[in-house]
Amino acid sequence: MADNKKRRRTEPTDETLPFKNKLKPDSAILEILTQLKNACSSSSGTKTLTLEDLSLPFTCREVADLSLSSVQTNIESLILKIAHSILSGNGFAFDVPSRSSANQLYVPELDRIVLKEKSSLRPFANISTVRKSAITARIVQLIHQLCLKGIHVTKRDLFYTDVKLFQDQIQSDAVLDDVSCMLGCTRSSLNVVAAEKGVVVGRLIFSDNGDMIDCTKMGMGGKAIPPNIDRVGDMSSDALFILLVEKDAAYMRLAEDRFYNRFPCIIVTAKGQPDVSTRLFLRKMKTELKLPVLALVDSDPYGLKILSVYGCGSKNMSYDSAHLTTPDIKWLGVRPSDLDKYKIPEQCRLPMTEQDIKTGKDLLEEDFVKKNPGWVEELTLMVKTKQKAEIQALSTFGFQYLSEVYLPLKLQQQDWL
Amino acid sequence: MDSESPIESKKSKSKTPRKPKETVLKQKSPAEFFAENKNIAGFDNPGKSLYTTVRELVENALDSAESISELPVVEITIEEIIKSKFNSMIGLVDRERVDAALYDDFETVKAREKRLAKEARAQELQAKNALLGKKVKDTPASKGIKGRGEASFYRVTCKDNGKGMPHDDIPNMFGRVLSGTKYGLKQTRGKFGLGAKMALIWSKMSTGLPIEISSSMKKQNYITFCRLDIDIHKNIPHVHLHEKRENKQNWHGAEIQVVIEGNWTTYRSKILHYMRQMAVITPYAQFQFKFLSDAPDKNVTVRFARRTDVMPPIPLETKHHPSSVDLLLIKRLITETSKQNLLQFLQHEFVNISKPHAERLIGEMGPDFSSKMAVKSLTSQQIVRIHQLFRQAKFDDPSGHCLSPAGEYNLRLGIIKELHPDMVATYSGSAQVFEGHPFIVEAGVSVGGKDVKQGLNIFRFANRIPLLFEQGADVVTRTALKRINWSSYKINQVQDKIGVFVSIVSTKIPFKGTGKEYIGNDINEIASAVKSAIQQCCVQLKSKIVKRMQAREQQERKRNLSRYIPDASGAVYNVLKQMTQLHPPKKNRYGDDDVELLRKVSENLITKETLCEKLAKHVEQVDYEMALEYATQSGVSEEPRETIFIQSLEAENKMIDLHAPFFVFRVFQ
Repeated sequence: MADNKKRRRTEPTDETLPFKNKLKPDSAILEILTQLKNACSSSSGTKTLTLEDLSLPFTCREVADLSLSSVQTNIESLILKIAHSILSGNGFAFDVPSRSSANQLYVPELDRIVLKEKSSLRPFANISTVRKSAITARIVQLIHQLCLKGIHVTKRDLFYTDVKLFQDQIQSDAVLDDVSCMLGCTRSSLNVVAAEKGVVVGRLIFSDNGDMIDCTKMGMGGKAIPPNIDRVGDMSSDALFILLVEKDAAYMRLAEDRFYNRFPCIIVTAKGQPDVSTRLFLRKMKTELKLPVLALVDSDPYGLKILSVYGCGSKNMSYDSAHLTTPDIKWLGVRPSDLDKYKIPEQCRLPMTEQDIKTGKDLLEEDFVKKNPGWVEELTLMVKTKQKAEIQALSTFGFQYLSEVYLPLKLQQQDWL
Repeated sequence: MDSESPIESKKSKSKTPRKPKETVLKQKSPAEFFAENKNIAGFDNPGKSLYTTVRELVENALDSAESISELPVVEITIEEIIKSKFNSMIGLVDRERVDAALYDDFETVKAREKRLAKEARAQELQAKNALLGKKVKDTPASKGIKGRGEASFYRVTCKDNGKGMPHDDIPNMFGRVLSGTKYGLKQTRGKFGLGAKMALIWSKMSTGLPIEISSSMKKQNYITFCRLDIDIHKNIPHVHLHEKRENKQNWHGAEIQVVIEGNWTTYRSKILHYMRQMAVITPYAQFQFKFLSDAPDKNVTVRFARRTDVMPPIPLETKHHPSSVDLLLIKRLITETSKQNLLQFLQHEFVNISKPHAERLIGEMGPDFSSKMAVKSLTSQQIVRIHQLFRQAKFDDPSGHCLSPAGEYNLRLGIIKELHPDMVATYSGSAQVFEGHPFIVEAGVSVGGKDVKQGLNIFRFANRIPLLFEQGADVVTRTALKRINWSSYKINQVQDKIGVFVSIVSTKIPFKGTGKEYIGNDINEIASAVKSAIQQCCVQLKSKIVKRMQAREQQERKRNLSRYIPDASGAVYNVLKQMTQLHPPKKNRYGDDDVELLRKVSENLITKETLCEKLAKHVEQVDYEMALEYATQSGVSEEPRETIFIQSLEAENKMIDLHAPFFVFRVFQ
């Protein structure tokens, strides 16, 4: 009731909003969305491909979710091997899979990045690797402890157990990824999680560690996405689509306007570059609820990059791309072509810096962009006009323009790529 | 007069404004001009004036000695003269102040109360601190604030072993501004040919005392002594005394003494920096700098010894390059030339025009011109035509032969001698051209050293004189700060003590601003030459630095490897220990040797120390192997030897030879 009142009050001023008159009644838009949802749920019924199905000419490294006990066994056999090696006077070395960009591969059939099989030796008695191998040994030991106790810690916790050795959290984080890669398990199976970053709000009900959460009743800020996905379950929803938002500000606007009540949806944001748990959560929602995913990102190269991380995975975590990527995300906005289509004034557009243009051109070379001709077109336009804009540029027509006109109109026109 | 006049007169006044006093066409002598605009020549304030005076005298001395290929010996003395002494010098009687309130530095009763209260507070605080045993810096004794009238005076004396000056020319050389010997087109140190004359004008303005000159030329059996000052309005010398004195010691050179107002306290460091940098760029000269005052603790004596007897060649006077001349200069050359016809004129009065080239040029000028036409008969229009052609036609670049760079050897020596750096690299670029004037950029980059600040220390030289002021906008500073990626040469821009020395020589240095203290950053030719010269130095340094880092790595390898032994072995041991404690029944999962290992751990036969020892042994072995490999790879390499200059001693050495059947000992007596 409260929302209805609010909307009525603002109605007179709405007449001045550009393109407002093009909007059909909400029922018509809902019709379109229902069609989209049905199409999505029927198509996603087919089994998703895996690496084995493809029988590629080279081997790729993928990790699996392992149980605590098997992680523990892996660690123990690794340590035994090392102990023997030390005792026989040969020092020791870790065989760590390389995560450098030269060892990454985009597989178009899977639409995600995978890790090739190259690995490098990390001997202790070498000046350039001594530090890393000492840190690796220490991290392995710490994870062994976690396995024995069966508890979860954050990456920050892990770092603080031996600050003197690790010096910098970046170093312990990087070695942690190396270790999960080396043991062949996902990072979540190591019981190490990142701090909560992503939030979700809207028509979603799920259980977190046994407590039922209704995301329509989580207040304006929404529910923080739990860092370990294994305690999330029992998802149910009457939403028609998932709206992925790049930024906190746009998310807040949509949450406050209760956009999900006008058009039933689930709104998710990771506040910038997505973390592992948000990506896991999105994938879980997509596979369990079979909803279409629409993305609202800035009209700049980084917006597209964030989109690609959700879609095809990041290079850093490519060894686990099977669990982290959500296929078939549609680019709803803000797209470079929207700048002119919605007559966004010049003063709200920013000139791209040289770095931006370079990133844009580099993206044009990436396979995951090339596979979608619509994206190539948009990105070419961006690089050509050398202009970028944030989602907030739409606020130039009023703070609520995003939720009142832009998004409904976009949905009505089915203007996604 | 208007104040009482009626309204009408006011009206008339507004219509025809009161005529200022008859506008008279005034002539200003060059000396007057420079007296009024002394900042142009670097005499902005007393402190700067003292600095510039020292600088002009030193540079004249160097030029003079170099012109006769004599290794320069320059002695410079600054003597502080207190006010009473100064007054007695000019024959003024010291007067006590009678009406104290008349003076600027008079302390009113209120101000005194304030000061006393402040001093009392400070004392109290100090006593408290002393009681608490805190160590505090002594509060500086309240400095006597110098009032306006409290000027300080200095006698600046500069003595050299140069060419000296002809007896009869001395008055004009000092007492006439803009008359000089350095007006040709060649690389010179001097700025405007003002040098000592400006010092004289300044002394005249601030003290009124004359300048004293002693000079003798080679093979001259007398010394000229001259005391003179300058008539600023007429720009002519005013000679007090001009006589010949006995030259007992066969001395040649010049000694100039001038008394000026100055400020030693604020410009002390600048003057010392100047001397030090001058010693860097002219290591073949010997400088002796002295500051004398009544307070012995303030006295300074610095001696910059000679480190080489290799002198750069004397810069040659050269002809103008066609692309650098203007209309006026062409006209002047025409009036001065001894050549008769146009062909000869073009061929001989300019560089890079050969005979066939001159003929082609004349053909290009049009039908009014011919090779044989008399050069003095050219009309103004024809001269303009020549000028236009000079602008458009293509000429070879002027060569750098007429330039006299310090030379890599001298630059290197200078840097080593004054900075004692850990490493130094120098580079001398080839001659390049800017607006028809050739220039050469030489650079040196040093790392480490004594009395060197962390970060970049820029030393700039133009025509072999140091530039100390307006460093920020200079092309060298901008290049070193912005265009050099130091980290790619393994140099840490913030932490390493980097010395950047850039010396630019040219027949015309394109200074910016009136002070001639910096070279603009907007000349691409010079900026890129400076950049590449510095980069060349850095490339040389990089290989040295890398080698040194490798050597250090060799030394520290064992230590660095051993540092992580406790961490690694501790981690491994802890896992093993946990395994033995928690699930002994699962042992059957492992192989026999694993079981054996775990048993030893549980029985404390294998402890953390065992693992540590084994790892340490392994590290030692690896270190030994690596050291062997390094030694075989690098061999016994030594730095290339450098010749050093050892100054010959005046007296001949007397030796005693001690003969033995198969060797001889030679001993200094």
